Amino acid sequence: MTIPPDLYGRRSRDRFVIAASALFSGLYRLRTLRTPTLPPVRPVDRSMRLVVQAVTQVAEEVVSLTLAAPDGRLLPAWQPGSHLDLHLPSGRRRQYSLCGDPSDLGTYRIAVRRLPDGGGGSLEVHGLSEGTVLKVQGPRNAFPFIPRKRYLFIAGGIGITPILPMVKAAEKLGADWHLIYTGRTRATLPFLDELPDQRVTIRTDDTDGIPTSDFLLASATPGTAVHVCGPSPMIDAIRAALPADATLHYERFAPAPITDGKPFEVELKSSGRVLQIPATRSALDVIKEEKPDVAYSCRQGFCGTCKTRILSGAADDRAPSDPAGDNTMLICVSRATQGRLTLDL
Amino acid sequence: MTAQLGEPDNLVLQARDVRFDWSAVPLHWIPGDPVATHLINVLHMLLPAGEEWFVRVFKEAVPLIEDDDLREDVLGFIGQEAMHASSHDAVLDHFMEQGLDVRPFVRQVEFLFESMLGDRGLTGDRRRAWLNERISLIAAIEHFTGVLGDWILNATALDEAGADPMMLDLLRWHGAEEVEHRHVAHELFMHLDGRYPARLRAMAETVTALVSLWQRGHRYLMAADPIVKGRIKGGVRHIRRTGRAGLTPEGRMVAASIRRYTRRDYSPLNEGSTEQALAYLATSPAAQAALR
Ligand code: FES
Ligand SMILES: [Fe+2]
Ligand SMILES: [Fe+2]
Repeated sequence: MTIPPDLYGRRSRDRFVIAASALFSGLYRLRTLRTPTLPPVRPVDRSMRLVVQAVTQVAEEVVSLTLAAPDGRLLPAWQPGSHLDLHLPSGRRRQYSLCGDPSDLGTYRIAVRRLPDGGGGSLEVHGLSEGTVLKVQGPRNAFPFIPRKRYLFIAGGIGITPILPMVKAAEKLGADWHLIYTGRTRATLPFLDELPDQRVTIRTDDTDGIPTSDFLLASATPGTAVHVCGPSPMIDAIRAALPADATLHYERFAPAPITDGKPFEVELKSSGRVLQIPATRSALDVIKEEKPDVAYSCRQGFCGTCKTRILSGAADDRAPSDPAGDNTMLICVSRATQGRLTLDL
Repeated sequence: MTAQLGEPDNLVLQARDVRFDWSAVPLHWIPGDPVATHLINVLHMLLPAGEEWFVRVFKEAVPLIEDDDLREDVLGFIGQEAMHASSHDAVLDHFMEQGLDVRPFVRQVEFLFESMLGDRGLTGDRRRAWLNERISLIAAIEHFTGVLGDWILNATALDEAGADPMMLDLLRWHGAEEVEHRHVAHELFMHLDGRYPARLRAMAETVTALVSLWQRGHRYLMAADPIVKGRIKGGVRHIRRTGRAGLTPEGRMVAASIRRYTRRDYSPLNEGSTEQALAYLATSPAAQAALR
């Protein structure tokens, strides 16, 4: 890059920039006369080994796990909305919301619904027995609970897990709150016995039908903080119907499900490896397993962090921030129009 | 458990999508005070190029990180900074539409970040050393973005002066995310290098650069402003008045924060409040608009 012009059009090369650049490069050159010494990077392992203390059936198809340190040591504190990252014996990694009592530092509790058609993580959790030791990372919080005067909590099925500690915290804060808890049948809803009788509406599809967004948002008066956790169609319905003067809070953790995706192949330039991207997964998801240091952030196609150069093939540029016609793509959302893509990775 | 939740801990940093509409925002968005308006506007000219540079440098650092939590934080940081850069860039387009040509100054800022602080085509240890050096500069700059973020969240004088709400929301959304991720650059530097003299040198270079960029940038904006037309000469000396009025930070406040940075036991977590930042982000109109 050449020296830019003067700010007021007096010269074609700005004198201040010339001077600053010369000074900075001079200092840099002086310092690099000596060969650089680099302090070693010390690996940091923050994971814990926790033992499964109890596996309890808490509803149809739902078990809760109680985890504790093998030596009974106190565990790191957490706040409502936090989750743990479990390394399952098969090597799968899954994140589960903490749904116990934050003031109990002796144990953590998570709850998992059995999803026969999922990625296999929930089946594996259901098969864990007491005494199993798991590698665990966290707790970390992607769904922080913020003190407000009035809350509406909406939980769909197993979505109760992050909401339950929030409900209890709202009660302790003396806030005005209301919980709507929905699911297929009463028997599939965990933790009903832990909820107060007041301020809670249970609504199940078998007796009351699928709830409408009007029903869910009836008490979203101005200033209400609406916290939602549930299946994405429920969240989408609430997003569309939320009154302007309420605020919405949900875990933006999982990227939106892929709509009409077709399988395709990705070739990585650096290694020449060819990866198969199934219809239900993003290119980023698959590439990340092969290259754990690939850069990404939002996984929803708006931040631009995962933008990658396409060396051959064509992408469908699915996100508004992924302009068509350039030779780049956002690998978190965009897909090949057909066949194979070669990426500069 | 007490009734208070306390300072949130262990947050997963995530980029937030935002929606802004600049079309109705006046050029002097602090009404009747172009001097204060442009003191803050210098930021809009520095941030797009500066934060894109953060993103490039940090992406280069990701493979070197040997700490899972820190790597996650750095990725979240990158996403947030990328959103900041593009959001401020849109403000520059709006300035252009109103007849304030910011391009000459922006070109110089781009030269600084893309050429002087860019890739030097190095390899091996020299490449690592240059990377560490740039991370030390980012850590020093991030000290200021955190301090400024904390300031803007509490700058009630701007509301009282009738400052444009859309512009305040941009600055406060950005400021709140700066507070939210204020520890990341420092921790990355401490993880990959951590030498105290390098931190001091980076701070000295950063202060020198920021003072001259503000001086030149403000002068430029006051001269190029189609309404002011150079009738008031710009320069950082104006913050004596604007700082007292609460429309910009005060010199004394910034100086005190630099002294804290130079302590060996400096921790960015002691600057600003995560709880306040999250409370703002939960209600920021631009962030809420994108969630719907
Ligand atoms: S990760 Fe944000 S756009 Fe892909
Ligand atoms: Fe930023
Ligand atoms: Fe930042």
